Amino acid sequence: MTTLRHVWAIFRKEVLDGSRDRRSISSLVFSALISPILFGLMFTVAAERGKSADEIALPVDGAQYAPALVEWLGQQSGVTVVPAPADAEKAVSSRDEDVVLIIDQDFAKNMGRAVPAQVKLVSDVTRDSARPKVTRVRNLVAAYSSQTSGLRLIARGVAPSVASAVRIEEVEVSSSQQRLATQLSILPLLLVIAALTGSMQLAIDSTAGERERGSLEPLLLNPVPRGALAAGKWLAASLFGCCAVLFSMLLTINVMRRVPWHDLGIRFRVSDAELMSLLALILPLALFLSAIVMFASTFARSFKEAQSYLGMLMLLPMLPGLVSTMYPLAGRPWMAPIPVLGQYALAADVLGGKPPGVAFYLLAGMSVVACAIGLVTLTARMLKREAIVFGR
Amino acid sequence: MIAIAGLRKHFGHVEAVRDVTFGAADGTVTGLLGHNGAGKTTTLRMLSGLMRPDAGSISVDGSDVIADPIGAQRSMGLLPDSRGLYPRLTPREHIRYFGELHGMSAGAIRERSGVLLKRLGLEPIADRRVAGFSQGERTKVALARALVHGPRNIILDEPTNGLDVMSTRAMRGLIRGLRQDGCCVVFSSHIMQEVSALCDRIVVIAQGEVVADGTPDDLRALTGQADLEDAFVALSSLEAEEVE
Repeated sequence: MTTLRHVWAIFRKEVLDGSRDRRSISSLVFSALISPILFGLMFTVAAERGKSADEIALPVDGAQYAPALVEWLGQQSGVTVVPAPADAEKAVSSRDEDVVLIIDQDFAKNMGRAVPAQVKLVSDVTRDSARPKVTRVRNLVAAYSSQTSGLRLIARGVAPSVASAVRIEEVEVSSSQQRLATQLSILPLLLVIAALTGSMQLAIDSTAGERERGSLEPLLLNPVPRGALAAGKWLAASLFGCCAVLFSMLLTINVMRRVPWHDLGIRFRVSDAELMSLLALILPLALFLSAIVMFASTFARSFKEAQSYLGMLMLLPMLPGLVSTMYPLAGRPWMAPIPVLGQYALAADVLGGKPPGVAFYLLAGMSVVACAIGLVTLTARMLKREAIVFGR
Repeated sequence: MIAIAGLRKHFGHVEAVRDVTFGAADGTVTGLLGHNGAGKTTTLRMLSGLMRPDAGSISVDGSDVIADPIGAQRSMGLLPDSRGLYPRLTPREHIRYFGELHGMSAGAIRERSGVLLKRLGLEPIADRRVAGFSQGERTKVALARALVHGPRNIILDEPTNGLDVMSTRAMRGLIRGLRQDGCCVVFSSHIMQEVSALCDRIVVIAQGEVVADGTPDDLRALTGQADLEDAFVALSSLEAEEVE
């Protein structure tokens, strides 16, 4: 029980020390804000784009050559035909317009002779934000074309279906929930980053910082088992990491409530409870991440040296997160006991609307905490090495 | 009471401590005298239990430091070579932290830190963060936290290093007070006046070996030098010639 008192004394001192450290506090605040800000921005931009294809002002040049087409376009919902700028190509390349429709002056003549009448669609393929609008206009023109040719065939006594040999019917397998999951798959990554940056300052300061200041030797003169020492420091760093994750999550949920999901064409069905269950995954992971950071910084003689080690180390827990945005990890719960990877896989399932069983949470949590305790034990062993205690 | 016998320690090819044997009794002040690099700090680090000797034995109040460093640390108060304070904590918080690590109750810590802060003249700055403290103030804080648990064996590594005259005097007063309380005080120094002013016994270390051990009068008699500083120089250089 005296060991527990030791752990508590060290934990309390490190938290007090950390809470007075401007660097620790500012990185905690910063890490809590990344996710909500990024998310808010991402979804708002996506919503704006979705919206831009619904309500479009379509500049048409040469409207007088095809009054029927222009009138038909004007009747489509959300479409307003406006006069085109004098130089259409320049307007599009200078981003004044997303798309311009130019009607050929022989349009009516060709229509009458039943040869393909020409329109030009001026657009810039490199502009992602204009793409929904361009696609909408292309589809409108295609719809008008097939409608007109259908009428022509009927006039000649031929069923329009004869003209289409193959018809494509698109069957979208992924539910809107899963489409949302791909958007949300970045959330676990952001939470992992929050856990890392939140705990890092304190973890470095209480290990490499302790060596840099020369306070490790006096500290070790106290009759305290090294394990208790490492555990107290680990828990203090973990507290900061967990706070960062918690704040980040709560703020993100708040932001999500304000996202105009309707404009994204998505029904947002991930409940707050399900989002909160992500915490059951990421909070134990924060314990593991702070243990890794602490272990690595114990090798470093100074704050700067520790930061250079951690620059590389930081990438490791992020890697599966980055990869999972490209190759979805959903539906692979066997990954659960693998630290970091397991959390990403289970999180993908939660966000995909297929929450895994409690057993998987337990498995993932226990495995990650066991690994953390292993790292803390290694750190404690390092604190016995003379090269670490006296090496400055 | 401290007993050290046949201590050896090497780092790579360097033999930092080759053969150190000495004892320090309760109620006396024992000075460890030697040039820079003579092996004083290494000896004290082994005594503190943080460094494992290659050979030899160390006992503090009868308990074996090498076998049970944590047990021995309970009865020792150490002021190490590196003072190492936490810039964002106050002197009072430093004392409390170390008191807690010694398993003391909150009440006992409060009482003891009141005594120590007063004795070391730290009261006016007891609740200021130590960032920006002078060298003397830092040493006092480091000393106060090392003495929080009322140890019977006190080991000080160059306690007056970097202190001004007033602080040096205060430190000497404190060491004498500890002797009066019946503590066993060991301190290292390379300053002759320091040692002659305080010590009941002097252990001279050169090139990692004890070259002389006795009262100041013994040393004068041994070397035939009336002045203690001359005696010290004679002892140290004697050893150096032997090595060559």
